[in-house]
Formats: sequence, C-alpha cells, structure tokens
Amino acid sequence: MPTPIIEADRCKGCELCVHACPEDVLEMSTNINAKGYFYPEVVRVDDCTGCRYCLLVCPDTAVQVENRGKTTVRTEGLTEKPTTYCPGCTHGIIHRLVGEVLVEMGIREHAVGVAPVGCSVLAYDFFNCDMQQASHGRAMAVATGIKRGRPDLIVFTYQGDGDLASIGMAETVHAANRGEKITVVFVNNAIYGMTGGQMAPTTLPGQIATTCPLGRDVTTAGYPIRIVELLSTLRTPAYLTRVSVHEPKAIMNAKKAIRKAFKFQIDKVCFSLVEVVSTCPTGWGQQPHEACEWLEEHMLPYYPLGDVKTPEAAH
Amino acid sequence: MAKKLMKGCEAIGEAAIQAGCRLFFGYPITPQNEIPEYMSGRLPQVGGTFVQAESEVAASNMLYGAAGAGCRCLTSSSSPGISLMMEGVSYLAGAELPVVIVNIMRGGPGLGGILPSQSDYFQATKGGGHGDYRLLVLAPSTVQEAADLTMEAFDLADKYRNPVMILGDGLIGQMMEPVEFKPGIDPAALPDKAWATTGAAGRPPNIVNSLFLKAEELEQHNLDLGAKYRAMQSEVRCELYRADDSLDVLIVAYGTVARIARTSVDALREKGLKAGLFRPVTLYPYPDEALARAVERARQVLVTELSMGQMVEDVRAIVAGRAPVAFYGRVGGMVMTAEELAEQAEKLAAVPA
Ligand SMILES: Cc1ncc(C[n+]2csc(CCOP(=O)(O)OP(=O)(O)O)c2C)c(N)n1
Repeated sequence: MPTPIIEADRCKGCELCVHACPEDVLEMSTNINAKGYFYPEVVRVDDCTGCRYCLLVCPDTAVQVENRGKTTVRTEGLTEKPTTYCPGCTHGIIHRLVGEVLVEMGIREHAVGVAPVGCSVLAYDFFNCDMQQASHGRAMAVATGIKRGRPDLIVFTYQGDGDLASIGMAETVHAANRGEKITVVFVNNAIYGMTGGQMAPTTLPGQIATTCPLGRDVTTAGYPIRIVELLSTLRTPAYLTRVSVHEPKAIMNAKKAIRKAFKFQIDKVCFSLVEVVSTCPTGWGQQPHEACEWLEEHMLPYYPLGDVKTPEAAH
Repeated sequence: MAKKLMKGCEAIGEAAIQAGCRLFFGYPITPQNEIPEYMSGRLPQVGGTFVQAESEVAASNMLYGAAGAGCRCLTSSSSPGISLMMEGVSYLAGAELPVVIVNIMRGGPGLGGILPSQSDYFQATKGGGHGDYRLLVLAPSTVQEAADLTMEAFDLADKYRNPVMILGDGLIGQMMEPVEFKPGIDPAALPDKAWATTGAAGRPPNIVNSLFLKAEELEQHNLDLGAKYRAMQSEVRCELYRADDSLDVLIVAYGTVARIARTSVDALREKGLKAGLFRPVTLYPYPDEALARAVERARQVLVTELSMGQMVEDVRAIVAGRAPVAFYGRVGGMVMTAEELAEQAEKLAAVPA
C-alpha cells in the first residue's frame, strides 16, 4: 500500500500537499512541530494511490512516499539544511528540481552554481555542489567567468526577476547573446521578495506591490517584461522556455525543461534559460494554495508556458 | 628572453601571459585599449580566452567567477571604467579572490579627459568600493617595471587571496621602452587552490561568498581581513634616488612622475642643491617607515603628483610635522616638466632653515 511519509519537523505548514492530494489523504494536524508549524498527517492512507503529488509540491522536502516496499529519498543534490524561504514559497520546489537533475544527470560533482541577490541569496547553503554568491544581477557575468575559465565545469545560475530582468538585464542579454554555455534558472515571482514586496519588472499590470500601492501603472512603469520572448529576438542559438510550478503536472514539466537546459550545456550546444513562473505568497499577501491559483489565473495568460526558442530552430 | 621594444600596455599584457594568466575580461576605454587589443590576439595563441564584456561592471564580475574557479585572470581599464568596476572589486575583496586589475589613469572627475593623470590614488588605496577593504597597489615607473610588477602581481594576489591593482598613468601605458620578461609560468604548474569552486568531487562543496548575515561572523571576517592587510605590510617597496645624505629637499613622487622628478634631482644637484627622490613602488601598503627615515635627513619635503594632491595626504600623515611638506601638482592631462619641478624645489630650498 502506498503511503506518504511526513517529516513533520521539516514542514513549514504551507498546506500545499493537502491541497494537491487528489484523494484527500492528508489533513493538517492540530499539533505543532518543533518550528511551531501545523503539519499534515496521513488520515486516509487507504485512498493513497502513490501519485507523489504531495512530494512534488512540497517546497521543504518534508514529504516522501513509500510504495511497494520502496521509499523515495531526499535528493543528494540538496544539503540537509532546511531552507530559509517562507512557508509555501515555490523557491523550495525549484531548488529540489535543480538538485534532483544535478544528481540524476551525474553532474553534481562537476557543477558550480551561482546564487543571486534576492530571496535565494543563500542558495549556496542549499545546493549540495560548489557555489559562488554573485552581486545583485551579475550572476551571468560570474557564470561567464567560471565557464570561460573552466569549460569542463557545469555552470548554472539561479536568479530572481529583479536580479535577472532589472539590475542584471545587461548581463542577461549579453550572456545570452554571446551564447555562453551555461544554464539559467530564472524564478519569476512577479515581485521583489527579499526586500519586502516591491514592484519588479515582471509585476503584472494593476498588480499591487509596496512601491505601486495602487497597482502597476503601465503608463509610467511600462508593461512587465517577458524575458524569454525578449531574448528570443537574439539570433544566437539558445534554449528558451517557460514553465511553472503551481501544480504537480507543471512541476514535472518544469523538471523536464531544467534537465534539457543542462543537457544542452553538457552537449555544448547553447545558452539555456528556463523561466519558472512562481509564487510569492508572502509578498502577494495570499495563502500558498491561493497564490498557486492566482498564478494560474493571472500570470499564465501574460506569461504563456512552453518553448519560445530551441537551438534547432535557429533563425 | 631577449629585450623587446614594447608599449607599456602591451608589456603589461604579455607579462600577464608570462605569469600564467589565460583569461582577460574587459571593456574598451582610452588610454589602455592596447591591453585588450593585445590580449585578444595573444591569448588564443596560448590556449587562453579573451572576453569583451558588455561593461566594466560585467568584466569585474566575470573576474570574480573566473578567480573563484581558481583561474589567474586579468582586467584592465581606465578611471571611469575602474569606477564601474568598484562593485566587483568590493565583492572580490570580500570573497578574498586573487585577481589583477590594471588602471591606466586618465583625468577626471566625470568623463574628464583621456590624458595621463594620477587622480585615482584615493580610489585605489583608500577603498573606492564599499566596505572595509584594501587592494595591494603597485605603481610602476618604467615599462620594464610595469612588466615585472604585473608578473609579480599574480603571485601576490594568490599569496594573499586579494585583488592587486597595477596603478599606472597614460604615460606608462603609451610609452615604448625595451623590456625583458622573466621566465614564463605554465598555468598547469601553478599550485591548486583548495578553496576554489572546481566541482565538489569527493569533498564537501566549496563556496565563494562575501555574505555574512550574523554580526559576529561579519565582524570576525573584517578582523581577519584586517589581519591580512597588516600581513601585507611586509610587501612594502620603494626606491631612493640620491637621498642617502642630508637633503635640502626630498621630492616624493610615484609612477612616471618619479622619472620626471629624477631629472629634476639631477639638475638640482648640478646646481649644488642637495636634492633627492623617494619613490613608493607599493602605494598600499605604503612604505611609511622608509619614508619617515628619509625625511629625518631632509629639511623640506616636496610631493608632486598629477592630481590636486592625494598621496600628499599620506605623506603629511607619515611626516607628522617633522618637516614642512609642500605640494606641486598638474592636472587635466597637463604634465609638469623637470625644470618646472626643479624650480619648485629650488624655491623650497631657499627657505631659511
Ligand atoms: C546593488 C544592490 N541593489 C539593491 C539591493 C537590494 N536587493 C536585495 S534583493 C533585491 C530584489 C530581489 O528580487 P528578485 O530578484 O525578484 O528575487 P526574489 O527576492 O523575489 O526571489 C534587492 C533590490 C542589493 N542587495 N544590491
């Protein structure tokens, strides 16, 4: 019989697993864990189908699934450290996907990640590979330096939208245009999370942020920047795609895209950028599962998912 | 290696290659374009890589990545470009990464001009970027010395895990002189850097970082950096010219200005005036003890720079009232002549003791 296994003390009580379970196997406990969070409990184990949705949506690797005598394990691509992200923040999910891909592709020991300035500034504590911490927006310049110096290493950056699409726009455009053989994981949560929810270049029209309290006014702030479309105008071959992590199937697709982005680097094909449409429940002022719904309803129409450019389709 | 007639900028580039540097990141700016131009042609010949960065901001951060991955790397620029690099410089210092940065100074502030200057002394020796940090700053006065110091700069950078700056001016960059290179280093023969991000195979991950969120840890980091900067004091270097006996005037100058001052000293000596020259080669750490000793024998001190007076502040602090310190500077790309400088010295020497 399949069953989810909850590591209660890793849990931040975001409830994403409870909402993701198609069979209502999980319910929030009335007890709190060591961190002071309510955590999920398996209440209808007989209904569990072993679909792993709970595991997929968990940002804190607090869920494993046992099925036919086998139990999933935390990826070695991440360190043991609990992340510093808010409950329900999708940064944790994206970390796990990257960590899993590093291990599954056998590149963890040759990888160097570049952490940005933003909520993921401490990513170097969470990825279990060599890491460099870059100044705000310069992750791709740093990655360029690493890759040009050591082309044998697998180099990736992990950047937020303020980092990559505002202060680091020049570094972004030029790294892509030079065709640096690096992999970029771009976390678009439509806001500046770390500094307290200010407007980002990706904030949606009308979306409220702490520096646009009446909503983004496109007549003065312009429209949100669609990074993958913008970069797709460059002639240099690249893999540019947009994925999301608001629900289990999207998460599986996101992982496929991340894997492909590393594959293109391993095969020395091209620059790759995976834009991951993400949530910021704290910055948006929503419950984590509401934020996922908001993402689907408001972000995806503006940021459509799918490949925008593949190296095969050079123009 | 035989002597070769080379421009200062090219000699710096070649010296970097001889030092085992195989990476250059930079953005064009006058009067140092000969360095990136030289490197763009030369590096591919030795299996190296030249990247024309999108800006000096990017170039300094590319250095960060490459140095963090354990590679010797170089950038060069001139004053406005060096200002842009200050972000990277502060992070390089914070993360303790060994790189070599060449500043062929031009006049400022702002866009200033393209002619020689020494007005970035403060920026180079006192900070320039944010935070408590120091660069090791070397000031060559001949093309040969520019080559030698550039080669040594890479060793010093590795020794202290600290950025090293070669501070030159437009004159040294553009003048041609014969130069001979010390035996070259094979980058493959350089010792491994155990701290570098080269892939965590069979060891825990290495992290290149300047972030310390806990006050206790950041204080400790600053204290450790401070101890390192104190240890760097042992690298002080200077040159004394005709300054062994008691002096009417001790001229203090660095870089190419010191060459002009030498001519002035000779002219003054011919006139029977006891003149001598003190030339710091390291601007940070400053050879303060050597200067203090030289000043003990001098009645007057004359500091001369291509600036409105920057190094003179350090000299005044070191002399600490033991002798009067006068200043003579030319700016904007104007360069003092040896006669002009000798005249200034003569005036001082005429002041009764
Ligand atoms: C040069 C510089 N400017 C500003 C900041 C302050 N700052 C830190 S994080 C951040 C925004 C990060 O937002 P984003 O990249 O969207 O990442 P998120 O926090 O949302 O994950 C800013 C402006 C900084 N650290 N450095």
